[in-house]
Amino acid sequence: MAKKDTHPTSTISTLLAAQTHRRQALKAALGGTAALATGLHAPAVLSQAKPFQGVTLNVSCWSSTYPKLLGDYLPEFTERTGIKVNYDTPGFPVYNQRADLELSTKGSAFDVLNITFIFTSRWIGAGWFTPLEPFLKDPNKTPADWDYADILSGSIQPMRDKSGVVHGIPWLTDALIAGCGRFDLFKANGLGMPDTFEEMDRTLATVHKKDNVPAFLTENHWGWTFIPYLQGFGGNIFRNPPDDLMPTLDTPEVAQAAEFFAKIVNTYGPEGAAGYNYDQANEALRAGRANYSTNNQVFLALLGAEGSQVAKTSNFGLCPKGPKGRFPGIGSHAWGIPAGAKNKDASWEFIKWSMSKELLGRMAQQHGLGSVTRKSILESPAYKQRMVINGVDLGKLFIDTLGFAEQGHMKYRTVHVYPQANAQINQAMGRVISGQMKAKESFAQAQVNTIADLKRAGVKL
Amino acid sequence: MRAAERDWGERRRRSFLMGLAPALFVLAAITIAPGIYLVLTSLTPLNLTLPDTAWDFSTPQGNYVELLEDPRFSHSVWVQVKLSVATVILQLAVGLGVALLLKTPTSMRRFARAAFLIPMVLPPIVVGILWRVMFTVDVSPMHRFMAWIGLPVKSIITDPDLALWAIVVVETWEWFPFTMLMVLAALQMIPDSPLEAAKIDGATRWQTFRFIVFPYIRQTLVIAGLFRLIDSIKAFPLIFVLTDGGPGDVTEVTNYYAYRQAFTFSLWGYGSAIATLMVAGIFLLSWIIDRMTGAVHAEAG
Repeated sequence: MAKKDTHPTSTISTLLAAQTHRRQALKAALGGTAALATGLHAPAVLSQAKPFQGVTLNVSCWSSTYPKLLGDYLPEFTERTGIKVNYDTPGFPVYNQRADLELSTKGSAFDVLNITFIFTSRWIGAGWFTPLEPFLKDPNKTPADWDYADILSGSIQPMRDKSGVVHGIPWLTDALIAGCGRFDLFKANGLGMPDTFEEMDRTLATVHKKDNVPAFLTENHWGWTFIPYLQGFGGNIFRNPPDDLMPTLDTPEVAQAAEFFAKIVNTYGPEGAAGYNYDQANEALRAGRANYSTNNQVFLALLGAEGSQVAKTSNFGLCPKGPKGRFPGIGSHAWGIPAGAKNKDASWEFIKWSMSKELLGRMAQQHGLGSVTRKSILESPAYKQRMVINGVDLGKLFIDTLGFAEQGHMKYRTVHVYPQANAQINQAMGRVISGQMKAKESFAQAQVNTIADLKRAGVKL
Repeated sequence: MRAAERDWGERRRRSFLMGLAPALFVLAAITIAPGIYLVLTSLTPLNLTLPDTAWDFSTPQGNYVELLEDPRFSHSVWVQVKLSVATVILQLAVGLGVALLLKTPTSMRRFARAAFLIPMVLPPIVVGILWRVMFTVDVSPMHRFMAWIGLPVKSIITDPDLALWAIVVVETWEWFPFTMLMVLAALQMIPDSPLEAAKIDGATRWQTFRFIVFPYIRQTLVIAGLFRLIDSIKAFPLIFVLTDGGPGDVTEVTNYYAYRQAFTFSLWGYGSAIATLMVAGIFLLSWIIDRMTGAVHAEAG
């Protein structure tokens, strides 16, 4: 027995209003008429309730907890709507390159794509995603109980274009926190989660190699994991983003931050720490082969999840602060409909379903999905109970971290040429950590290269 | 009579052309047309995020002038030269050595020949992942073994002095079977009589190799080496998986730099200019191959 569909387009007229294919509408009409004539009411209801029956959507998102979990629920979506989904979740860099290329051609290969945080300005600004206001404001397409207002407004903000029109529904707002797999080693030495860079250095020095566990490890995407340190020492990427994009990578603050960060990675990391991508770093932390990290909450929360060898000894805290303050990385990722997608109504059905309160609530309840963007779930007792790991309220930690967004320190990341700066920071930090250059020299080179890249991209400096 | 011959010759040429036409059409569609598009794009400042930059030929030489002044481009060419020279020499040496060891067919050697071919038939991305594990210190069997015997080895792919050598080793591991196969085939072609004569004359193994075997397989080695040289320019997947061009930019070869410009920064005009120069370089190499193989054949003849 098919589940009852909650889709509002339950009549022939609304079917046509929803701009479905004419032939599908006629089929539904004929099916309904024939069924009524023969007294078979159930098939008539089914044919009307599944206006997208037979449609196939191509959906892609980078590999993370939520997109991976979503794959398990897809049969429900197909059963409910009749829409088949070709779904894939490649690694982050692979996804971004593929999506960037596909979007730039305004091709129709994908019907729903993730809008990656660092590409929001570029992809939305270039008109590569469909405005969602026509879907959100049409009660036939989006019922009131879907509750758009329930989604964190701060998460939606980066998904707006210059005129304020929304182009993506955020499924993830992630925040950089501190996580520790072997907090028992901290406790044994009378130490807590460090609150400042200075404390962090002292703490890691104390616990390093205790029980043969290196004290620190994070992923080698330095353009993300190093920035809280860079800003914590008073540096920034651009002079005044998004208005003034003159790079500021050659300042003493940046050099000081780079020296500090390279020392942390090299001194307290496992051999070859600079080569760990996020999957490797996360696995090493979950297996207890490294202890403390600063990285995304969505990754570090897995230290306390099922399958982690350090679940019982994990602990969490805010990203430590530097001499100039605390600047945790915060970013949103959203579902969007590519401008070239052929069946946008069906795409919207997918987005609505994947971001429904009911489904997200189940994911949080059944699988401990931590990073959600719906207030109702974040505030629910069930979520709060689930998100308390070893006495630490990760939900509160998440919301507290989001509070730092008010400082506006993440503006650098949504400018359309951040990928250029990101690549230069990765290379510059790589040179410092591997000992090829001193921080000052390496970031001076990064400054020159970034200016050249920005000018090539048409930025007036 | 002469007119009839001319007419027949003309008809023959036409029928050849007609026969070739489908192949020429396919070649034009899949090779020449994209090639022309690449060159045209390289003459524009095409930035995918700025649609107006498409087909803007106002400064056609702009990308090339910039490339001449771009130290990262020249650095990437130098990295490419080091990688290509090292991998070709090692692949020829290892391939030749293994082929000489396996030239006499026994059941064990036949099995070894088949086993040695495995790296060559693996998809490059699989090779990359396999070696990524081998180079990750805390999970690598190689590193664990070295640590176990008291000779711990530091991380290779994050060491700026060794990272490029790591790529060279993997590239050699993957492609030495190509040389091995070609040399094995050439070895089968050597007649027995000069080898038997050398044996009767009391020639050492080295003398037999130097004065009898090597002249027979020299052409094959030249051709294998030049093919591998061209192929070494395509060492993209290994770099992508193992080092991402780092640490810093020590493994950033030219095609990786072009990829960054085009795919990461959306600067397709600039990326196309780099790719065009690479195509020109490969074209030059192909021409040299053609001349050298022609010379070798002439010498052999």
